[in-house]
Amino acid sequence: MIQWLVFLLFSTLAVVSALGVVFLSNPIYVILALLSVLVSVAGIFFVAGAELVGALQLIIYAVAVTVFYVFVLTAVPWEKALKKDPFYRVEGLFSFPLLLLLYAEMFLVFLVGVSVSPKGQFREFIKQFGNAEVVGGILFSKYFLAFELVSLVLLIGMIGAVIIGRKEAQTYESDTP
Amino acid sequence: MEGVVAWLIITLIKIVVILAIVLGVGAYLTLVERKVAAHIQRRPGPMVVGWHGLLQPLADGLKLLTKEDLFPRYGNQFLYNLALVMALVPATLVFAVVPFGPEFEVFGIKVKPILTDVNIGLLLVFALGSMAVFAIALAGWASNSKYALIGSMRKAGIVVSYEVVITFAVMGPIILAGTLSTYDIVQKQIEQNLWYVWLQPLAFVVYMFAMLAETGRVPFDVQEAEAELVTGFTVEYGGMKFGLFPLVEWYIEVLSLSAIAVVLFLGGWSPINIPFLGFIDPLFFLGPLSPFVWFILKVSLLFLFVLWLHWTLPRYRIDQITETAWKVMLPITFVNLVLTAVIAPLVWR
Repeated sequence: MIQWLVFLLFSTLAVVSALGVVFLSNPIYVILALLSVLVSVAGIFFVAGAELVGALQLIIYAVAVTVFYVFVLTAVPWEKALKKDPFYRVEGLFSFPLLLLLYAEMFLVFLVGVSVSPKGQFREFIKQFGNAEVVGGILFSKYFLAFELVSLVLLIGMIGAVIIGRKEAQTYESDTP
Repeated sequence: MEGVVAWLIITLIKIVVILAIVLGVGAYLTLVERKVAAHIQRRPGPMVVGWHGLLQPLADGLKLLTKEDLFPRYGNQFLYNLALVMALVPATLVFAVVPFGPEFEVFGIKVKPILTDVNIGLLLVFALGSMAVFAIALAGWASNSKYALIGSMRKAGIVVSYEVVITFAVMGPIILAGTLSTYDIVQKQIEQNLWYVWLQPLAFVVYMFAMLAETGRVPFDVQEAEAELVTGFTVEYGGMKFGLFPLVEWYIEVLSLSAIAVVLFLGGWSPINIPFLGFIDPLFFLGPLSPFVWFILKVSLLFLFVLWLHWTLPRYRIDQITETAWKVMLPITFVNLVLTAVIAPLVWR
């Protein structure tokens, strides 16, 4: 009963703030709405008893990712942040089919995921070992290959960031003092 | 049904007690800070209001509350006020996972003196702790002042770098305890007859550094930097709104992070520890109250340590602070983490 009420609260909050992300014009408000979406999704995880996933959601998405948006935006001048001109109209039109494709893919993955996901098989384990142990166990046994591949992708991303961020060696004649 | 009602009542009582303790103690710590600072500088400190200035926090609060509520001309009123909420709420929420003592029984009901014993309590601490960045960034941006903006950017840079460091620093004790729940970590230390500070001195030192940096205490208080930035991101705030930021940063956050340090490294509510042999309790005459007294003693010791540093040291430059975080602290925590992860399973279990 209480669980349903709390779930209802968080899910309405998530949907309302998701609408805010789409329709608000001030970029700072957009980011705050995004933060609100992420925090309420974390709340839904907590209600469902997936504490580890909820905490990771808070740490990784609500803090680590969103902070960088805030960082960028606070460096944007006040007048530019309030500008309302729609940029990239043509590009938006061209990218629309791609967007539809992405949504279709997401929908497909969701359907497939629902049909193959374990139904209550892990509940006993979670009661016995706790959240973090079960996630670790599954991650390092059943999904080990996927886990390693993802860490490889992250490593490549990190190397890319280092290469982009390093100081360029002087390759041109510099006349300016 | 009765179980649910009892649970609700107990939880409500816990919430009220924790809020009262945190906010009340937070306010009175201003007096402690002024007194300690005064005695470090060989002057008496506040003496006029009440006996040895005991009523000074009330007078200060009254003064701040009755001040005019100023607002910068082109600022953003909504974000300006939202920043206050986003500073206070996560900082007080951290206390939901701080265990104040062992389980005890009242009227036949077992009560754990911790609001929620979630099994990932520590992750929650650091998630909520880093939420402070939003408040700071918003306060700086909504004030529409360059001093506030520079101060908030500095502070956000520091918090982001040291949040990484602090998360890796606590991994050592987590590996030793094998759990993320704050209550269980203390239980494990009592079972193993060992405060983890004896095995993790490096992690403890790094944790203390990161704690000073996150709470904006000297030597890491460049975001305040009275001489160049007036007072950083709080410049445009006045009255009680101004008072809230130091209250949250300097007192509530220092308290919560000290409590977590006590839980992780100093054995929570356990008495003095001799490594691997046992515990000595000079306060045994207090009976069932002694664990709580030990917890409070340890937290206040850490708090006084922070005050002592604050009123003794000069401050670093911002580039030195972030460089220390990424080039010194983070490698140290990595070495500590790898060593612990390699050695601990060999000799521990």
